[in-house]
Amino acid sequence: MKYTTFNQQSTNPLVEPMFFGNPVNVARYDQQKHAIFEKLIEKQISFFWRPEEVDVSRDRVDFQKLTDPEKHIFISNLKYQTLLDSVQGRSPNIAFLPIISLPELETWVETWSFFETIHSRSYTHILRNLFSDPSDIFEDIVVNDEIKRRAADISKYYDDLIFATQLWQTQGEGVHTVDGVPHTINMYELKKKLFLCMNSVNALEAIRFYVSFACTFAFAERKLMEGNSKIIRLIARDENLHLSSTQHILNLWARSKDDPEMAQIAQDCKEEARAIFMNAVQQEKEWADYLFQNGSMIGLNKEILCSYVEYIANQRMTAIGLDAPFEISSNPLPWMNNYLNSDNVQVAPQESEISSYLVGQIDSAVSEDDFADFEL
Amino acid sequence: MSTADKTLRIDVVDVGCISSPPDTTLLTALEAANINIHYHCREGFCGACRTKLIEGEVEYTTDPLAFIDDDEILPCCCVALCPLKIKVPL
Repeated sequence: MKYTTFNQQSTNPLVEPMFFGNPVNVARYDQQKHAIFEKLIEKQISFFWRPEEVDVSRDRVDFQKLTDPEKHIFISNLKYQTLLDSVQGRSPNIAFLPIISLPELETWVETWSFFETIHSRSYTHILRNLFSDPSDIFEDIVVNDEIKRRAADISKYYDDLIFATQLWQTQGEGVHTVDGVPHTINMYELKKKLFLCMNSVNALEAIRFYVSFACTFAFAERKLMEGNSKIIRLIARDENLHLSSTQHILNLWARSKDDPEMAQIAQDCKEEARAIFMNAVQQEKEWADYLFQNGSMIGLNKEILCSYVEYIANQRMTAIGLDAPFEISSNPLPWMNNYLNSDNVQVAPQESEISSYLVGQIDSAVSEDDFADFEL
Repeated sequence: MSTADKTLRIDVVDVGCISSPPDTTLLTALEAANINIHYHCREGFCGACRTKLIEGEVEYTTDPLAFIDDDEILPCCCVALCPLKIKVPL
C-alpha cells in the first residue's frame, strides 16, 4: 500500500491497529485508542533538557588524572553510547512512522526520536570539552571492529523492516526480485519483521544502554567525571521512558489488545524474541571484556558488570513475558539505583549550572526586612 | 486512634513481615524496614520495582506509566489500603 502523508480516506483511529493499518491523517489526540502513548509524550516533554545546561568543564581535569585503562573504558563507552543514539535518533522515525496507524503513537515515536538526538548532541558536548579535536573519536566509531559488530546487530532488524516496507509500499505483496535476490512480501512477513525489530529495540533500550550507564556511574561514585555523569543521568531517565514504551507495545501485542495477527506472531516468534535478548546479553558481556582488556577500574570489573547484565536481563525479560534465564537474585550494583532515580536528577535550575538562568530575571522574593528603612 | 492502629502489615514473600505506616509509598516503607528492592525512577514510569501483589489492595499516588501486569503493582508510587502479601524484586 502506497504511503500517503495525508490519507484522504476517512478513518477511525479508535479501531486501527498500532501498525500496518491505514496511514494517519489528522493528528488528533482528543480520542485515543492507546492513551498510554499520549501520557508518555507528556512525561517525555516534561523532561526536556539541553546538553549545554550541564557544565562539563571540570571533567577535563579529571580525565587527565585517569589511568590509561580508565581512559580506554571512558572513551570506548562514550563511543558506544554515541553509536546507540545515532541509530536511535533516526531509526524509529524511518522504520516505524511509515507504517504507524495511530496519531498518538506517531507523535510518541517522533518525540522519542527527538530526545535521542538531544543525547547525540550531548556526546559532542562532552567530547568537545575533553579534546580540542574530537574527530578521531567519532571517526573510530565506524572503523572499530568491537563497535561495528554491535552496530551490525542493532541496525539489522531495522534495515530488514525498512527494506520490506519499501518493497510493500512501492510494489505491494508478492515475490519481488531485487538485485537477483527474491523477497517474499506479505502481511505476515512484514508483521514478523516488525515484531523482531521491536524486540531488538526493546533489548537495546533495556540492556545495551545499561552496561555503559554502569561504567559512567562507576566513575561518578569516585567523584570523577561528574559533569558527564550528570548528562548520562538525564539520558538514563529518558531511556527508562523509552523502554516503557517498547514494553507497552510488545505487551499490547502479546495480550491481544491490539492486532490479533500480532498476537499470533508474538506466540510464533517467542523463541526468536528470546534469542534476540540472549544475543544482546552475550554481546554486552563481550563488550565488558573489551572495556576491561587493559585493566579494571576501582569499583567495577568485568565479572561485576557481567552479573549486572544478567540481573538486568532477568528483570527486562520477565517484563515482556519471557522467563528469567539467569540465576542471579540480587542486584550486584545497588548504587546504580541512586543514579537512575529521577528524584536525584537535578531539576532546580538555580542549583545546577545553567548560565542563562539568572540573565534578565528579577528577584521577586521580598522579605519584611526589605522595608526596614522605608518611611511614608 | 494511635499510629500503631493505622500501620498495615505487609507480608513480603521470602523476606519477612513489615509494618507500613499510612501515607508512605510502599517502596519507602520497604526501605524503612531495610528491604532494599530494585528501583530506578521512583515515579512510576520505568517499571524497575514491579512487584507481584498476591493479596490485598493498593492505591496509586501517581498514575503508573510503566507496563504492569494485572497482578503487579509499582511500590514506588502506591500506598497500601489494607494488609498486603507481595513478592518483591530484590
